[in-house]
Amino acid sequence: MPRRNPSRVRPQRRKREHHGEAGDAFRCVGCRLDVPMIAPGTAHRNHCPHCLTSLHVDHRIPGDRRAACRGRMTALSVTVRPDGEWLIIHHCQSCGGLSANRIAGDDNALALLRIAVRPLSDTRLPVSALLSL
Amino acid sequence: MSAKPIITETFTCVRCGLTVGASAPDGSRRNHCPSCLHSRHVVDRVEGGPSECGARMTPISIAVLRTGDWMVIHRCVRCGELTSNPVCGDDNRLILIRMAVRPLAQPPFPLETFGDL
Repeated sequence: MPRRNPSRVRPQRRKREHHGEAGDAFRCVGCRLDVPMIAPGTAHRNHCPHCLTSLHVDHRIPGDRRAACRGRMTALSVTVRPDGEWLIIHHCQSCGGLSANRIAGDDNALALLRIAVRPLSDTRLPVSALLSL
Repeated sequence: MSAKPIITETFTCVRCGLTVGASAPDGSRRNHCPSCLHSRHVVDRVEGGPSECGARMTPISIAVLRTGDWMVIHRCVRCGELTSNPVCGDDNRLILIRMAVRPLAQPPFPLETFGDL
């Protein structure tokens, strides 16, 4: 699907250094899938396209590789940038840290949508607030 | 039965200016405005302890835990740090629902195909 407002697309930063020189693939810590580093739509593959699990390697700045944690990060929720791009909020299972990552073109659409509708499938949903929209 | 100490202090919301009591209806301490859900970056999540940023934090999404509790994800407008805080009972339901449906209003892929699944 094309973007709603393609005028405000911000150019992505070029990848300056390549981490883990040897490989062109990594193995997902969640589902053990072998994932190629080349991703459609992004130069920074940071989560598994199948189960959306990531690894806690960056500290404050994306790509700094300064986190000592190395814990597994699971997808917690989905948010939208003002330009209409989806971000996955990852939650570290070992230290509780959070990070936001852009989705890639080959990410599992069903897994993404399940996270996105999770608040709406809650039985304690305030229906009165929905009706007043 | 020992009663919980009643928190009588207030704070002023940095975005909408509402004066809010620091105590939530369930007795816990509030960390965001119940009207506009904005917060302030006063706790450093990465290092722990107080943060010297102090900037406004906007709510960006809703997360549902395994227990079914809702959390608001805040992002600092100045340094970009993310925090998650539990939703209070008197938080603005309209803004909560609006944040929950926002991803579905701008899907990156056509949602029609999911009807066939």
